[in-house]
Amino acid sequence: MSTNTKYSEQELVSQLLKQNDQAFSYLYDNYSPALFGVINQIISNKEVAADVLQDVFVNIWKKIHLYDDTKGRLFTWMLNIARNAAIDKLRSRPYQDSLKNQPLTENVNTITANSVVNPQQNDIGLKKQVAKLKEEYRVLIDLSYFQGFTHEEISKILNLPLGTVKTRIRSALTQLRTML
Amino acid sequence: MNIQEYISSGIIESYVLGLALPEERAEFEKMCALYPELVEARTNFELSVEKQALEDSVAPPVGSKEKIWSAIQQSATRNPSKIIPMEPRKSRSSGLRWFAAASIILFLLTAYLAYSFYNKNRQLQAKIDRNDSLLNAMTTGDKIMHDPNVMVVNMVGLKGSSSSANVYWDSTSTDVYMVVKNMPKLPSDKQYQLWALIGSKPVDLGLFDPPQSNIILKMKNAQKADAFAITIENRGNTGGPDLGQLQSMGKTKL
Repeated sequence: MSTNTKYSEQELVSQLLKQNDQAFSYLYDNYSPALFGVINQIISNKEVAADVLQDVFVNIWKKIHLYDDTKGRLFTWMLNIARNAAIDKLRSRPYQDSLKNQPLTENVNTITANSVVNPQQNDIGLKKQVAKLKEEYRVLIDLSYFQGFTHEEISKILNLPLGTVKTRIRSALTQLRTML
Repeated sequence: MNIQEYISSGIIESYVLGLALPEERAEFEKMCALYPELVEARTNFELSVEKQALEDSVAPPVGSKEKIWSAIQQSATRNPSKIIPMEPRKSRSSGLRWFAAASIILFLLTAYLAYSFYNKNRQLQAKIDRNDSLLNAMTTGDKIMHDPNVMVVNMVGLKGSSSSANVYWDSTSTDVYMVVKNMPKLPSDKQYQLWALIGSKPVDLGLFDPPQSNIILKMKNAQKADAFAITIENRGNTGGPDLGQLQSMGKTKL
């Protein structure tokens, strides 16, 4: 199962709609490392992250007919499926319970003040870029993007007015954009 | 707010990264339909996120590709409305397929055998019925031939006719039987007819076709007979004998 053909996003979508195994092979070979990276930034445990990756591909496969190219690129759509799946896993009861049984040093994704305030030394990629933002922005991106908290939840956690959370997240994002 | 302010407001980033609220998303999609430059800015940001994600790539564990593919196929089989991709090395579905194919073949074979046994049985039954009636006729014939009350009249061919037959006449029961020894085939509109002659008066004892085998034929009863005669008549004759067509004759008294 490996392919040498190079598909455009449009071609790939139409192949995926036909549900052929070549399309899956291509999708996996070209996108699984990037999507696994996205999942890893949220779920550090490789085994759990691999389970999430499986859910992500099954979802992409099943929901490809819902993809609308007027709303954005295929990768963006897949990225959001991956991020949402990872956050769902992060917040699931079994995962939270499993974290409690692990040494504190690996406990990077719990909602402790530590993990939010202190940037992790091993941060890579987007997380590394986020770490370069000024503190008040970094916290907001971490809570919203990497941990999936809603604006209301962040407003409670940080004890900030909802409007402030919203405008700061926007500012943080525009700054982040200049770094990518 | 003009479009440039909207573009730089952070909405693009919120939308692409999935952080925008539902109402913000709806508004953004409407704006995209109106402003191509907004779509362009969105696409640019998407490409930079994509580039960053590719740089952040982490190789998934070995074997996940196969594991994921089989999970996809299992989820596809659970959903019958989906087209199930054929994968030659998937033994589970192909096993079922083989089983189904074998079942159909077995069913067809069974049906064929049942049908051919049924036919064969019918043929055998018909054969048995034919043999039974032949045996009955022969048994009857044998009984008659050995009955002391039965007179055998030997019918001999006349005027060069090779026709010959035996007439068995039971004078007490008045039953008349006949065994054809040699009767040439006739045109389809002709039949042989047996007569009893009382004095010189002919009495009809029945029309007959030359039989396939020399089985015994039951004819009409005769109270009295001085002689028996066989003529050739038109098929279904109801009139008197055509004595010009007299084929064979036998007397009851020597």
